[in-house]
Amino acid sequence: MILTHRNIEGIDIVSLAGRLVMADVPEVRQKLLVTVEQGSGKLILDLAEVGFMDSSGLSVLVSVFKAARAKSGDVALLHLSPTVRSLIELTRLQQVFPIFDDEAAALARLR
Amino acid sequence: MTRTITLAIESRAECIELLSGALCGLCQLLALPTAPIEIALVEAVNNVVEHAYHGEPGHPVWVEFEWAPDCLNLRVRDCGQPMAPGRLEAMAPLADPDPDDLATLSLRSRGLSLIKSCMDKVEYEARDGVNTLSMSRALVVSESV
Repeated sequence: MILTHRNIEGIDIVSLAGRLVMADVPEVRQKLLVTVEQGSGKLILDLAEVGFMDSSGLSVLVSVFKAARAKSGDVALLHLSPTVRSLIELTRLQQVFPIFDDEAAALARLR
Repeated sequence: MTRTITLAIESRAECIELLSGALCGLCQLLALPTAPIEIALVEAVNNVVEHAYHGEPGHPVWVEFEWAPDCLNLRVRDCGQPMAPGRLEAMAPLADPDPDDLATLSLRSRGLSLIKSCMDKVEYEARDGVNTLSMSRALVVSESV
């Protein structure tokens, strides 16, 4: 899995590309937690290039959300593929994560 | 007509995407929706690798895909530690998480609940050293083969 990081006005934006599944979870979790720890705690995860995610991938999102909340931050999800969106909705995590199709709207939410 | 294909992988997380790739190809060939079936398959095999074989590589995992005229049957078999009796039946539906109550964001046990959400019928049997998780999904008219 490839992670690309940038920062806009103190908000971290990480784009993920590939499958977020059990085999990739330890590395991705560690990298995202470091991003939250070293940043403001405000994080946008751009999942446009994530074609599939399993429950272990979901556990990464939840871990990162908990870390961000511990810093009074938040995590927004951007550009969900249909498969990832269906997984999020099956687990009702849309009640936890704000979901956007537009980066400007996600940035406005976290400012 | 019922058509069947059986695949085998080693019990390594990195091998599971091979099953996903095969499933996607089969779903495309047969014009079936991939997402719910792939979620159920990956969660089932994740459980085998993580729990039945305790993350130990080198053990066999078999997956049988059976397309009947009115349903798709998946059977995931392993020779590892069986699931505790009654665990599947006791698995409650996924609860609504509360973003303001982090304790409700459980990281565990989502796999079996997801499988039950994606498939119409899920059964588990441990017999003679072989564990079998059988999953079935009815095909709507436009999906049937």
